[in-house]
Order: sequence, then C-alpha cells, then structure tokens
Amino acid sequence: EKWATTRTKHPATSLALQYFDATYGVQLGQLWPSVRAALLSERKYGALLNNCSNDDVLANLHAQGSKDFLSDTEGRSPPCLEQEPEVVSEEESSDVSVSDLDGQQRSPLQLSTNIKCLVFPRGDITRFKPARPDICGLLGYYLMDAASVLPCLALDVQEGHSVLDLCAAPGGKTLALLQTQFIGFLCVNDTSVSRTLRLRKVLQSYVPKPLLSDQKLCITSFDGTKWEERNTFNRVIVDVPCTTDRHSLMEDDNNIFSKSRTGERQKLPQLQLELLLAGIIAACPGGEIIYSTCTLSQIQNQSVVEQAVHTAQEVHGIHLQVVDLRPLTRMFRKTFHFAPDLHLGEMVIPHLAANFGPIYMCKLRRLT
Amino acid sequence: TLKSTQPNHELNLLSMQPVTELSLPSLVDMGFTDSQAEQLYDATSKLKGGAAKHALSTLTALFVLGLNPSNVLKLLEKCPELYTIKESQIQQRIANIRKLGLVEGSLQRVVSHYPQILTVPVKTVKNVVVFLREKCLFTAQQVTEILRDSPAVVLENMGQLEYKFQYVYFRMGVKQAEMVKSRLLRFTLEEVRCRHCFLERRGLYQTPDKKGQTVILNPKLASILKGDEDTFLTDVANASAEEYDVLKRMMKREWWEEEQLQGTIEAN
Ligand SMILES: C[S@@+](CC[C@H](N)C(=O)[O-])C[C@H]1O[C@@H](n2cnc3c(N)ncnc32)[C@H](O)[C@@H]1O
Repeated sequence: EKWATTRTKHPATSLALQYFDATYGVQLGQLWPSVRAALLSERKYGALLNNCSNDDVLANLHAQGSKDFLSDTEGRSPPCLEQEPEVVSEEESSDVSVSDLDGQQRSPLQLSTNIKCLVFPRGDITRFKPARPDICGLLGYYLMDAASVLPCLALDVQEGHSVLDLCAAPGGKTLALLQTQFIGFLCVNDTSVSRTLRLRKVLQSYVPKPLLSDQKLCITSFDGTKWEERNTFNRVIVDVPCTTDRHSLMEDDNNIFSKSRTGERQKLPQLQLELLLAGIIAACPGGEIIYSTCTLSQIQNQSVVEQAVHTAQEVHGIHLQVVDLRPLTRMFRKTFHFAPDLHLGEMVIPHLAANFGPIYMCKLRRLT
Repeated sequence: TLKSTQPNHELNLLSMQPVTELSLPSLVDMGFTDSQAEQLYDATSKLKGGAAKHALSTLTALFVLGLNPSNVLKLLEKCPELYTIKESQIQQRIANIRKLGLVEGSLQRVVSHYPQILTVPVKTVKNVVVFLREKCLFTAQQVTEILRDSPAVVLENMGQLEYKFQYVYFRMGVKQAEMVKSRLLRFTLEEVRCRHCFLERRGLYQTPDKKGQTVILNPKLASILKGDEDTFLTDVANASAEEYDVLKRMMKREWWEEEQLQGTIEAN
C-alpha cells in the first residue's frame, strides 16, 4: 500500500513531463534521456559571491570544497566531455552564420568582471549552506543556478554603461551584474509588484545603501512590453518568463502546465517576443541585448529571437547582428554541458554530473 | 584417488562412533587430506572452550548430505558457526528445508553456497515462509524456488523484505512469477530502487496503470537486475557510469532525508 500511487490523476507536473517527452524527445533526440534524468533530480546551485560583504566568505567556501567556475577555465576541453568539432579556425568560423540572419560576428571576450560564482566540482552533490549576514547585515553570497551567471557575463558590461534589466525579479542576474561594479546607471523592472518587492529586499540584503541611490539605480514595476524609453541603454537583459522547465516538473503549485493556465502558457512566445522587442528598442544603436530563458523549448528560444530580429528590421527599421557566444561556452565547458549545434544562441543543458540549467541565451547587437 | 576415498570415508563414519574429540587422524579417516585435516583442526582448536563440541556431529551431518571433504572444508571456513550447533538442531533444520521442497541436489547446492541457512532456527525459516505465502502471495512452488535461488532471504529483516516486495509489486508493477524468475530477493532494496529510479527518470520505465498498461514497453525485471552495473548501464539504461554514480549518491541522500522526515513526523 505504501507504494500505491496516491497522486491525483493528472497533476501539472505529469502534464509537464508528458509535454516535454513529446517535444524535447524530438528536439534533443539521443540527449533527452540524460537531460530528463537530470531535470528530475536535485539541481546544483552556485554561490554568487557578494563583493560588498565584509566577511571572508571566499575562504570559507573554498574550505568546503567549492571553486569559482569563472577562474576554472581551460583552453582545451577535458577528455570526458564531448568535443565539438573544431575544424574551422577562429576567422573562418565567423562565416558560419545564421541562415536568414546576418552573419554572426566574433567578439573577443575579455572577462575582466569582478563576478565570482562558486560551485562544487563535477559529480559532487554537496549543498551550500544558507548565507549569513556580516556585521553590516549584508549576506555573503546568493544561491542561484550557476548557469544564470552566463547571460550576465555574455552581456559584457563596460565601465560607465547604462543597463536595463527588463524582467528582473527576484534579482539573481541583477546581483551578478552589480558585482561587476562597472555599471553607471541600472534600471531594474518587473511587472509583478510582489516580485518587485522581493527584488528590493534582495538588493537591500546584498548591496550597501549608497550604491542603491536614485542616481545609480531605479526600480520599477511596469509591463515591460510597454517600455517607453528608446535608444537609451548600452546594455539590456531580457530574461523572460517561460515554462521554467525544472520548476514545472517539480512543483504542482503555481504550475504553468496546470489546466487553468493553458491559455497563459500558449501566449508565452508572443509575450517573450514583445518583451525582447521592447528591450531591443530600449537599447541604443551599438548597444547589446541578451535574451535568456530557463527552458529548453525551441519555440520559446530560437524562434522568438528569429522573429524579433525579423520584426525589428521590418517594423522598426532596426538592424541587428547576432553575436557569437561560442568563445564563452568554450571557456566554461569544464563546468557546464552545452547543447551541441544550436543554430542560434547557446544553451546549458542539465546533466546529472553538472546539474545546472536549462539556460538559453542569445546575444544581439544593434547596428542601427 | 578420489574414488578410493569415498568408500573409505563412509566406513570410517561408522567406526567413528565412539570418538568424541576431533583429532588429526580421525579427520584423515573421514577423508580429509593431511593439510585439510590440519586446517580444520586448527580452526576448531581456535574456538574457545566447548564451542567446538558439536564439530563432529556437524561434520557427520554434512557428509550425510553427500558433500565431499573439500566442499565441507570450504563451507566451514565460510561459516565456522556451524561447529557449535547441536546435532539434533542441525538434523531438524535439514529436515525442515527438505520439507520445503529442496530435495537432493538443490539441498546440497544451497547448503554449500549458503551454509548460514543451517544456523537459522526452524521457527525463523517457517515464519519467512508464512510471510512469503501469506503476505506476498507466492505459491508453494515459488517459495521453494526462492529458497533455492536466494536462501539468504531467511535471514533478511522482515520489514525490509516487505518494503522490497511492495516496492516492486506496486511501484514497478511486477507480479510474483516475474519476481521469482528475476531472483529479486537476492538484491538489496537499494540496488533495485536505484536501477529502477534511474530508468524511470530517463524515461525508460513506467508504473503500469490499474489495467496494467504502460505507454512505453518496460524492460523485464530480470533484465534490469541481471548482470553487473556495467552491463546494466550499456544494455538497459544506455547511460554513463558517471551519471549513474551521481544518481546513486543522490538517491541515498533523498531516501535518508525521507526517513528522517518520517521519523520526526512519527515522533510528533
Ligand atoms: C525568469 S523570471 C526573471 C528572473 C530574474 N531575471 C533573476 O535572474 O532573478 C521572469 C520575470 O518576468 C516577469 N514578467 C512577466 N511578465 C512581464 C512583463 N510583461 N514585463 C516585465 N516583467 C514581466 C515575471 O514577474 C518574472 O519575475
């Protein structure tokens, strides 16, 4: 009797699993069973180090066996990871472009950020303890999916930049961006008032008051699709609401696959497109935009970007270029598993030994 | 020379009656080689006090089963406890096992592979059999097969046994006949659960619905359990050892935490 299935007939988590089996089975093929097992197992976290904390958190985290993945890079990939074919040289590969989009352009990555994110080594399932406040009440680290740091790195914020975080709550990526200490002005927005409140609390627990002043930071609760500023920001991150694959498989509460939310789920790609377009329009010419999600879904990832690039050109006369992120993925393939052969953007896929992601990201540069 | 020792040792068994203490010559008379006899003699003299006083009747009982001297030596090395069991007890236990359907051939094999079975009181064995028949609804024939293939079941914790049965029956949807065929009871609950959960998370195993139906074709329990881990990974799970290794550690922690939680709930 102990093992008799006591679940309700079709809980949202089972609906999500059915849907994923059907779509990702096709999309990921052979990789799906492995990704599936990882998604259904305990995820790994990263500890985003708070540079503003007074405690020697880093030493403490090191002592527990975790390491900063950003400094744990290697030119060559370890033999245990699948090697992506590296037949083309750096220059030649730049014409491996996205079919109907403009050629991807390779930008040399200098990661001179101050971001540190600690993770336990591959295969190690140790958990982080909750962070503790220092004498000023600031917490030493923020626990988040380590792969979520990648879109922030890819955004490549430079000294004095003005940055927009269009869908920011609860604020993990905002915190990562703030760690760079490069930002001149930061706008954080999230349509949900309650989530914006939470975001505010998070910022207060990690960032000293002076850095949260009105001249440096602005927190709003607008509908991002109606963002009005145009041609303003050097950098924009659009981290859209999505099917949050991991969450949808684990929690029946507030699940986007529940019958009552079918309509909302079906409208996600449209909402994502509108948010990305708003982000594109808010960026200044020459500015850069990161689109990111935590789903494996092609419809919510590549298709949205393709559509946005097309619409920006056709409707708004904004010419965009897709920026190649392969230098970034190459750098961190010791820590993450990346999906092979994506025709647009990059994606961290979960793996039991490195159970981060899913995180999809695509970088665009405004040419006009 | 093997042929010549056989009649010799039967003869000696009969003439041995008055001997109550083991001695090197008496062991050689029973058919042990000189060095085997020395080994045995050393082993028994290491046992403290009167612990070895039943050694002789034990040896006799084992020979009567038709085991040869080197078999006997091997199983006594595996289970020195046998030296200390009373003659009447050992006889009863063997008789009981016979009654459960383990006849010549199977009986010898079980005793030589799992001599511990003779250290288990008749009552305990009977309880296990009742449990298997009444709680798990195995047929008498299936119980005999279980005892033959997985004799260690007689010493397993009944709670664990029940847990394992229910897990496989309800969670995996496997019926008794298939359990017997797969020699399920040889495996620990943890092994079974790990392999099953791994397959389930990879999308290769589904709990059948009330009508016993699944969308995918589940692998047979026998093919899941047979073979070492590498075989399981390549033939059934189609996964890397690294992934399975992580999963096993994760599951262990999950189950441990569930138990803790269960404990605190019960304590409240
Ligand atoms: C994936 S979460 C963002 C996570 C966040 N960037 C982080 O790293 O912590 C998506 C967010 O988008 C917000 N959102 C949904 N619709 C929105 C809209 N129309 N405009 C702005 N934000 C929206 C949701 O409230 C949710 O907090």
